[in-house]
Amino acid sequence: MAAEPPSTGLAATRSSRATRWSAHALLVVMAILWLAPLAWMVVTSLKPADQAASASLRLLPDPASSTVSQIVENYSGVWNDEAVQFPIYLRNTLIVAILSVAGMTLSSAMVAYGFARIPFRGRGPFFALTLATMMIPFPVIMGPLYVLFGHLGWIGSLKPLWVPAWFGGAFNIFLLRQFYMGLPKELDEAARLDGCSHWGIFWRIIVPLSRPALAVVALFHFIYVWNDFLAPMIFLTHRDDFTLALGLQMYQSKSGNTPWNLLMAAGTMVVAPVVVLFFLAQRSFVRGIAAGGGRE
Amino acid sequence: MEPMLPESGLEGRNRLRQDLAGWLWVSPWVVGFAVFMLVPIAMSLYYSFTDFPLLEGALWVGTDNYRRLLGDADFWLTLRNTVIFVGVSIPVCTVISITIAALLNRSRGRDFFQAAIFLPSLVPLAAGAIIFSWLFNGEYGLVNRVLATVGIDGPPWLLDRNLALPAVIVIGVWGIGQAVVLYVAAMQDVPEQLYEAADLDGMGPFRKFWNVTLPMISPVILFNVITMSIGAFQAFVVPFMLFDRVKGGPDRVAYFSTHYLFDNAFAFDRMGYASALAWVQLLIVLAFTGVVFLVSRKLVFYRGS
Amino acid sequence: MVNDLASIAGMTRRAAVGGLAAAALGFVAFGPRGGKERSDGRIVLDYWEKWTGLEGRAIIRIVDEFNASQDRIWVRYFSTSGIDQKTKVAIAGGDPPDIVGLWNPNIAGFAASGAILPLSDLAERPEHAIRLERYAGAMRPMMEYKGKVWAAVHTGGSVALYCNKAHFREVGIDPETSLRTIADLDRANHLLTQVEPDGTVNRVGFLQSEPGWDNYHWGTFFGGELVDGESNRSLLGSAENIAAYEWVQRGARRFGEGDGIPDADESRNALLRGSSFGQLQKFRSGFGNYDSPLNAFLSGKVSTVAQGPWLANVIQAYRPDLDYCVVPFPVVDSLVDPEHPRGLVNADVLVVPRGVRHPEACMEFIAFTQTQRAVEYLSTVHCKNSTLADVSPEFVAGHANRGLATFAKVAGSSNAFRCPHTPAWMQFKDVCDTMFGDVWTGKDAAATLVKAADAKAQDVLDQSAAAGRRRGRA
Repeated sequence: MAAEPPSTGLAATRSSRATRWSAHALLVVMAILWLAPLAWMVVTSLKPADQAASASLRLLPDPASSTVSQIVENYSGVWNDEAVQFPIYLRNTLIVAILSVAGMTLSSAMVAYGFARIPFRGRGPFFALTLATMMIPFPVIMGPLYVLFGHLGWIGSLKPLWVPAWFGGAFNIFLLRQFYMGLPKELDEAARLDGCSHWGIFWRIIVPLSRPALAVVALFHFIYVWNDFLAPMIFLTHRDDFTLALGLQMYQSKSGNTPWNLLMAAGTMVVAPVVVLFFLAQRSFVRGIAAGGGRE
Repeated sequence: MEPMLPESGLEGRNRLRQDLAGWLWVSPWVVGFAVFMLVPIAMSLYYSFTDFPLLEGALWVGTDNYRRLLGDADFWLTLRNTVIFVGVSIPVCTVISITIAALLNRSRGRDFFQAAIFLPSLVPLAAGAIIFSWLFNGEYGLVNRVLATVGIDGPPWLLDRNLALPAVIVIGVWGIGQAVVLYVAAMQDVPEQLYEAADLDGMGPFRKFWNVTLPMISPVILFNVITMSIGAFQAFVVPFMLFDRVKGGPDRVAYFSTHYLFDNAFAFDRMGYASALAWVQLLIVLAFTGVVFLVSRKLVFYRGS
Repeated sequence: MVNDLASIAGMTRRAAVGGLAAAALGFVAFGPRGGKERSDGRIVLDYWEKWTGLEGRAIIRIVDEFNASQDRIWVRYFSTSGIDQKTKVAIAGGDPPDIVGLWNPNIAGFAASGAILPLSDLAERPEHAIRLERYAGAMRPMMEYKGKVWAAVHTGGSVALYCNKAHFREVGIDPETSLRTIADLDRANHLLTQVEPDGTVNRVGFLQSEPGWDNYHWGTFFGGELVDGESNRSLLGSAENIAAYEWVQRGARRFGEGDGIPDADESRNALLRGSSFGQLQKFRSGFGNYDSPLNAFLSGKVSTVAQGPWLANVIQAYRPDLDYCVVPFPVVDSLVDPEHPRGLVNADVLVVPRGVRHPEACMEFIAFTQTQRAVEYLSTVHCKNSTLADVSPEFVAGHANRGLATFAKVAGSSNAFRCPHTPAWMQFKDVCDTMFGDVWTGKDAAATLVKAADAKAQDVLDQSAAAGRRRGRA
């Protein structure tokens, strides 16, 4: 995205002071509304069960001095729950995320290079077909995929969740192709005159220049893996293979149910990494969305 | 797309080499596309003409599944619920996200507010569902606690048939951050001269928004409406976890197509029937997208046209 | 300057991202793993269960004892939610567990499609065989389908009515002697329910919606049944079932309409009429989790609840001082038979999926769980009836539920109600759940809804039968 214009641009001077202030106030309200659910999740996770389920609006447990010990109690209670093993689910989720993100980024980058830089016959129709697959809802293919993975002997393992990523994803291919199209072709041609093959151009020119775009793909695919629910729910049968999102559901519905304060602590643990990543890579997120939005 | 060159001698050989290289580079996706898209879709079409109880083999039954579907009250119920959900949540999300983007576009501290609105869109839906099942709790939920401070006796949101679906929609609205970011970016791209011209025509801020901003961002609106709708047609995890004790919530108002498809495939021993449902869902999504594109021809404004 | 700052911020951010990535990799490399890799030369059996917490720990103890009792087989315990669906997907996907703890109504579906193995064919050694005559009479039919034994009953329990004695003392009713008919219960409900003048509900005598686990069982107290197994006909639409669900609907509608019972108290009815279904739903949303002090019965929000013996565990844990008693669930006048009470009986069963590599090892473990000692230990901790015909005096003496005799009587009764063993049970139950929800929220008249559900249930049964016929099953 281009550098942002100063926030008090021409547009702002045109609108009256009153509208500007009311717009600002509205934004403050919006921000509070949007952040309140997350804040209340954290607040609830700090309290003992009976205080969580009371009508008070307190932010800290009563007495406030028990906050630290209550945090330790709630979070270690969730982390060490004997039935729902979050440490194992965290590891599984990370395994899937790492393998899947690596595969998705690499393969999508290569396929996008083919679409962007090599004018092979059938490229146009195949690219159109690729875009069309974005409209196919996952539920439509989940049953057959399950049967297929069963034939491959993958049910009962993490493979269904990461192997397909090594064959690229339509949206990421589209995104990277758009980015490559914006890179000057002269660079390739110069390299080609120097005797570089496609392989050389890809690794020495395209990949270094498209690092921001690759980061965007990696980030969004990571978030996708972290959030995915339906595919793990269908393909993972073995409790030791569960991912965090699935663990959360299991924690919610385990026999005897779960008190709200612990459920919120579990929720906080699942959400926290995403929030941290967001703060570290906010710009990449924003850039990635803007790039993927088909503004052209 | 590419100019067709006469294929003779050296050029023809180059051409062939280029084709080979091109297909080689896209080959991972050729495999991915074939194995994880094409084959499953073909299988799904075949299964939709079979009786396939998952634990046993598939047996051909012709068009039984499709005929049964016409008289299946649960199919119509879940389809109706899904259509209502898409029909209400997409306009609501679109209006709210454009409004927020318009506010953001000209505000101080845009980065902060944009971050605040955007962050929830990254939260896993499973976590979002449990957060909101807590917020909407009739007795102890934050929503009713806050209402109580101003003397309003809040309803049991998730147990009320008229409020259950709005609750699901609210969670959708909470996650509109990506659309907002996209709208803000589009609004930033609107050329300043257009606003200046509008000023000369004596337009007020609302008319300017209506006559300049909206047409200029209309391609992005189209993009968002389509991606959001495709997502909304598949809604599953939020209602699944929000109403974990009573499937679909009160009167099953939030029992959606994907959930019904899932039940048939993996709980009711009817993978064949589930596949018929899947195909109907696919056709509906395609038809919907087609209609949106057709309508958009008249409404969407592309620069340079 | 600004650029320097920006680049420093960028470097810090990159370092943080790098640190996170390293931490993630480290966690993958050295983090905790599941038990999958573990093996010490023994045959390893994976055992899936639905139980967590207290109940889960009791089973794990049995598993540990079994693992210690011999050196040939190693059983690993896994609990998971949605056990029936997960098991189905695992078997069909070709990666079944070795032993699964299902519910008895699941057996028919798994057995009919050949997804589980008949236990009678598996035991190679006679001492591992399942002998039906060892089990309590009510349990035997729950292990069978089409004349074969498919499952070993692990634990089991019946449902009866828990009464908060303090509440009953308030209204001057002795639940143990004068709570025999539905009319008695309606009368008690009328007196026990407390509504504020502004319509707020404070307490309800009895709620058909609690705990909401078995919405299909209300008909039995009116003489209704669900399925005629011989003809594969749905009996859901019978007059008895319609009467039952009309009664369920009255339980919701009384908030706003008042009670139509003989000699109803006019002032109470006025308060009920001033309330509404919305108020009732709001009151219900304040009910806490089953396993918590906020459990509606424990916290006194409801004075009675239809539950199994296991509720005593929760009472013991959070409200040991709660003064309660247990009576067989009331029935309509014509069915009163103190010697043969009515009530739902369910069991928790062990099955062996097809495709397991060591069926005889599975049988050895199952046989270990079926000894009187193991059954009584589990039933004590789970707080359920014993599933065996022989019950030791120690078991009875040491049981935490003061209503054990009532539960045993219901379970042993010739009138006990069991879920029909049909392959279509999952769908059938789904039909009942939908119907119950509609009846409760008053979507339509109960009779209309029950009849519609009956037609749907029949369709479900017919479809399932057709699928069986296609595969050459009778």
